[in-house]
Amino acid sequence: MSLADNTPAPRGLSGSMGKLAKLRHAREFNVLIALVIMGGAISLFTPYFLTVDNLMGVSRAFSLTAIMAIGMVMVIITGGIDLSVGSAMGLAGLVTALCFDAGFGQTTAVAAGLAVGAVFGLVNGMLITAIGLPPFIATLGTLSIGRGLMYMITHGVPLTPSTPDSFALLGQGYVVPVPLPVVILLVLMVVFSLIMIHTRFGRHIYATGGNENAARLSGVKTQRVKLAVYMLSSLISSLAGVIAFSRYLSAEPASGFGSELDVIAAAAIGGASLSGGIGSVTGAVMGAALIGEIANGVVLLNINTYAQQAITGGVILIAVSLDVLRNRLKGGR
Amino acid sequence: MKTFAKLAGAALVLGTLMSTTAVYAKDIVVALVPKVAVPFFDDVNNGGKAEAEKLGVKYQWVVPANTQGATQVKVIEDLIARHVDGIGISVNEPKSVEGVIKQAMKAGIKVVTFDSDSANSGRSMYIGTVNKQAGVTMGEAMAKAVGGKGEVAIVTGQLGASNLNERIDGVKEALAKYPDIKIVATEGTEDDLAKAVSVTEALLRGHPNLAGIFGISQVGGPAVAKVLGEEEFAKHKGQLKVLAFDDLPDTIKGVKDGFIDGIMVQRPITMGKLAVEHLVAQIKGEETASKDIDTGVTVVTKDNLGSYTK
Repeated sequence: MSLADNTPAPRGLSGSMGKLAKLRHAREFNVLIALVIMGGAISLFTPYFLTVDNLMGVSRAFSLTAIMAIGMVMVIITGGIDLSVGSAMGLAGLVTALCFDAGFGQTTAVAAGLAVGAVFGLVNGMLITAIGLPPFIATLGTLSIGRGLMYMITHGVPLTPSTPDSFALLGQGYVVPVPLPVVILLVLMVVFSLIMIHTRFGRHIYATGGNENAARLSGVKTQRVKLAVYMLSSLISSLAGVIAFSRYLSAEPASGFGSELDVIAAAAIGGASLSGGIGSVTGAVMGAALIGEIANGVVLLNINTYAQQAITGGVILIAVSLDVLRNRLKGGR
Repeated sequence: MKTFAKLAGAALVLGTLMSTTAVYAKDIVVALVPKVAVPFFDDVNNGGKAEAEKLGVKYQWVVPANTQGATQVKVIEDLIARHVDGIGISVNEPKSVEGVIKQAMKAGIKVVTFDSDSANSGRSMYIGTVNKQAGVTMGEAMAKAVGGKGEVAIVTGQLGASNLNERIDGVKEALAKYPDIKIVATEGTEDDLAKAVSVTEALLRGHPNLAGIFGISQVGGPAVAKVLGEEEFAKHKGQLKVLAFDDLPDTIKGVKDGFIDGIMVQRPITMGKLAVEHLVAQIKGEETASKDIDTGVTVVTKDNLGSYTK
């Protein structure tokens, strides 16, 4: 694999480029193993887990988190964070619904939904690059604004306009037997993996988070890179919002609420370092898959609902801790 | 000036002669204070306004800007300063308004709570849904729907919400009388439709013989209807009895489409009407010993979908 040659060394890694390549692969491999072990464990106790219907259902359920995690992991690799993904998602779905409600066609409605993402990304990006706000604060602000706008528009009541059947396909259709949102996820995963590994833009994203000063001195336009990743993150989230609306045909006032935590957790489980420079798109998607698998397992296994969140948190901590320990033992540092 | 005073005096005398109670009623001002601006409270307002017109009293609808306890405290302080005669309030935060409600009562203003109570505030009465009782109604409706036996599951919203937990207590109390009905799962959804849909799907896969689902919070009905509309779960339609809470558009559609068997609908219009009625009676001194009123829930099914009242 040639990615080691064209990826700058991230901060905190003193070893050779080859080590980085192995490390990144090892991290994804860890999550994959965790997925398989967890699946095996759940199957021991219930016959209903390993069925095509259930696995496809689970994939569809975590696909939106995973799609948003693709954008998030790019932001995290630059050393930033995007807390506004849930608001961008919810507001995009709502704006799409409003367009249908006003009698616009589906092209306009979808475009308007995606435009919400573009605006979110532009505002986040400008706050962070032009004004210089810390990403946490900038996106916390836009999270809150988006949430407020949703309540102002909906007054707390879901919006359920009538939509053409063809629009519902986006969220409810199948490419037998795979649900369409999962297909979209896989396409985005492949495209953005290739971008991250094989394009100059991808290398600049790693460089910006690895050591921003060094990257800037060697000619990387770090501000422009940051603006681009926030734009991408919001755009991808708004796409998730349009898909969610197509799936449920109901724009909920609380749609996307709190989903940023799942999305960030997915990226972290997938090996992304919150201090920047490290992470991968496939890892983030597998992280989302692990969270989705746990959520499905606890219901199938009839585990007390009050314990579910604690179990999910515990599994996340164990998964990430094992990953860190394993890498330390292997002499990564 | 003198002429004006004379005219006013004459009008007053005339008014008194015409009807003694009407003069008193015209001077009465009652104010209703909701939690925040949502459609549920629009219904309360309509009920309250209509009753005030009927009784001939002045009526104010004062909506707090946000759901913080402090905001309602300020609203009540303003109403005390304006010397209104009665206040009905749906409390956002029970503890924070205790002091100011006591202060209002001390100033001679009658106070009732509706929809959401502050039990230790000294208010004269509470008018609203007793959630536990609504749960009992729901549990009994389910027992009837499933014929007294089978596995049932509960899909709720936020795990910590006390009104939802009271409804669940009521459901359990009602089902305790039916030993052949077993509650096999209770699942939280954080009131998120997406989460509720995937939880319901997993429930149906994990319990293929499920006979009934309780939608305890407002996402339950739309979520179960959505799932039963999917091809994989179509076989459950009609087989699976579904009871939901609150008449949101998607829940009503679920009843029309045959996915949902019944909705527990609260009675906000009745709450507004009763709040004004009892405040005025207390102000006139006609009602002295007030008792809490459970406005109950209407069970809305396909049969009374077009005709139920709130």
